[in-house]
Amino acid sequence: MLTPRSAVTLNALGLYAIALLLLAAFVFQFMLHELPCPLCLLQRVAFAALAMGPVLNLRYGPRASHYALSLIAAVMGAGIAMRQVLLHIMPGDPGYGSAIFGYHYYTWALVCFVVAIVLIAVVLLSDRQFDSRERPILGPFEKGAFWLVVAVIAVNALNVFVECGGNVCPDNPTTYLLLP
Amino acid sequence: MDQLALFLLFGAAMLVAWIGLRRMAIGLFCLAVVLTVADYLHHATDTLNLSF
Repeated sequence: MLTPRSAVTLNALGLYAIALLLLAAFVFQFMLHELPCPLCLLQRVAFAALAMGPVLNLRYGPRASHYALSLIAAVMGAGIAMRQVLLHIMPGDPGYGSAIFGYHYYTWALVCFVVAIVLIAVVLLSDRQFDSRERPILGPFEKGAFWLVVAVIAVNALNVFVECGGNVCPDNPTTYLLLP
Repeated sequence: MDQLALFLLFGAAMLVAWIGLRRMAIGLFCLAVVLTVADYLHHATDTLNLSF
């Protein structure tokens, strides 16, 4: 059973995992020279939204309503990823972008969102974490997780600005609009 | 540009939560979710070539 303290640590780990996912998307974007499409960017937005629950849990202590926000974000992300999977589901369709370990980004994103939904449901099974209403005392591990996620979200915002400028992102982007 | 605004909104919601304004943070989060769904509907205009 999770205690309030161990739940806070688990939420910090969740923030590190979200930051890692967003950073991995960046690594593949630059390594493979593939620009994210609008639906791909929306999936990254949903990953950023997923971090809201853990952030609130770190700051105010674990509450079911905080986990609910992350569940909403995960269902939203799964819906967006599912839409993109269905766009490329016909036999012969090469998909958008490269396949990583056999699956495209959006398929991995769908898997990650579904895993997030299951994990949040499993964490919600533990009632003991909700026993205390005191605000947790945060160490460098928890504070580092928060600031890392905020930094990764800021870099994502900058990435969108460089890719699309002040316009709506094109469906099949080929160049960064603000780079020569 | 639309996704830029969404990233900034979610980031702002987290920062507002961090400085202690929980209700405002949740309000910002809800606003950002609604705008994300609206943006998704705007971009989800391609026909799904499904056979069922």
